Amino acid sequence: MPPYGNESESVGRRGELITAGIVLLVALSTSFLSEPNQQRISGALQVTVLRPFIATQQRLEESRIGAADADSLMALVDSLSSTLSTQSVLLDENRTLRALLDIGERAGPRYLPATVLRPGTPGSESMFIVDVGADDGIVQGSPVIGPSGLVGVIREVRPRNSVGMDWSHPEFRASAMLADGTVYGLVENRAGAFREPDRLLLNGVPFNEQVAPGSLVVTSGLGGVFPRGIPIGHIDVLAGQEGSWLKTFWLTPRVHPGAATHVLVLQGDVGDDVTGLWGVDSTDASGAPPSREGR
Amino acid sequence: MTPAGRVRIWLLGGVLVVLHFVLHVGLSYGRGAPDLLTLALLLMAREISLGRAAAVGLLFGLFEDALSVLAFGANSVAMTVVAIGGAATRDLFVGDSRLFLLSYVFVGKWTRDFLHWVAVGEGLRQPFVEQVVIEGGLSSVYAALVGLVVAEVWGLGREA
Repeated sequence: MPPYGNESESVGRRGELITAGIVLLVALSTSFLSEPNQQRISGALQVTVLRPFIATQQRLEESRIGAADADSLMALVDSLSSTLSTQSVLLDENRTLRALLDIGERAGPRYLPATVLRPGTPGSESMFIVDVGADDGIVQGSPVIGPSGLVGVIREVRPRNSVGMDWSHPEFRASAMLADGTVYGLVENRAGAFREPDRLLLNGVPFNEQVAPGSLVVTSGLGGVFPRGIPIGHIDVLAGQEGSWLKTFWLTPRVHPGAATHVLVLQGDVGDDVTGLWGVDSTDASGAPPSREGR
Repeated sequence: MTPAGRVRIWLLGGVLVVLHFVLHVGLSYGRGAPDLLTLALLLMAREISLGRAAAVGLLFGLFEDALSVLAFGANSVAMTVVAIGGAATRDLFVGDSRLFLLSYVFVGKWTRDFLHWVAVGEGLRQPFVEQVVIEGGLSSVYAALVGLVVAEVWGLGREA
């Protein structure tokens, strides 16, 4: 036997290296696939290998909704006073659902109720899955709203579910204005440092415009992504100014994405003004921010 | 490696992968749950051939990419490179000591987080110190400790 291995071992080793190299090339090429192909692959994996896990989350979410039933809550209040902390979560959930129901009734059938699921895997931060899809008339770019305002937008549509991104995503942008229509700008996300909460920034406000703290900021409808009038947040403080041309303001968001469990998704094209959905009190420009969703 | 040992390592990989998705996706534990997918890959990469390790890495990466938006491919690249690196360590380091396992999983997981951070692209990633140094470091320690427990429970390194 030769002292340092034999030829077949070296050939086998070379074969392994070639295989590994090919696999690495395939891995690198996945980033450069066209978006429909990427969606096809992720869609196929989601409805096959990952289906049981997503279904588990869905079922857990549904049972949580079931547990929030008002009657059972009353029974719990009567009999389980020691578990008040648990009930407060359920009551909160119930409140969210009722608020959503109110908006749903006002919005009409074009806004479909949906449950939000979060994958919780690396790289999936700021994204969510809703249990409505192309079969329900959802299209890419459909706005996702909650009882308090804008949650995000749908990015990928599959037959029975859709993937969306909330406003904490670095690529989130929304054309916005003050509720009274006097000042227009662009709302974007600013990631919080060291896991501080993400914040919203109202950009591009003309320098000479007066903006009062607490003013409600809503979608302007420009650009055709979001209908006009969805509440986004309230003006907090001046964030900065660019020369003597533009000002930027920090916003206090009305919706906290992590707390959004039940939402409405707009079916089909972006419609007209939806300011009326949130009522006069919640769009009062001078009013304080209402209670945050899910909190 | 004996055929029985080979079956055991594939079985361990399968169990860890299922557990990973049950905890992360099914039960939505998020960062509270350790990255068992990377741990499974690192443990398997030491025991299977280089080509198979790379293929398993790609498959695991695609699983994670299927659940992420706008950064498709980042997990695939990171996991494939880590798998190849893990398999290559067999030629560089021989050892089954617990200290080696601890540092191997720590470095492997941290490398995976670093590669993912690079592959995700500038527009989508958090600052390096925050995401890679602090979060990546903590999750690597977490994965390494869990790896130690798994190795003890599964009897890794004892059957050789």
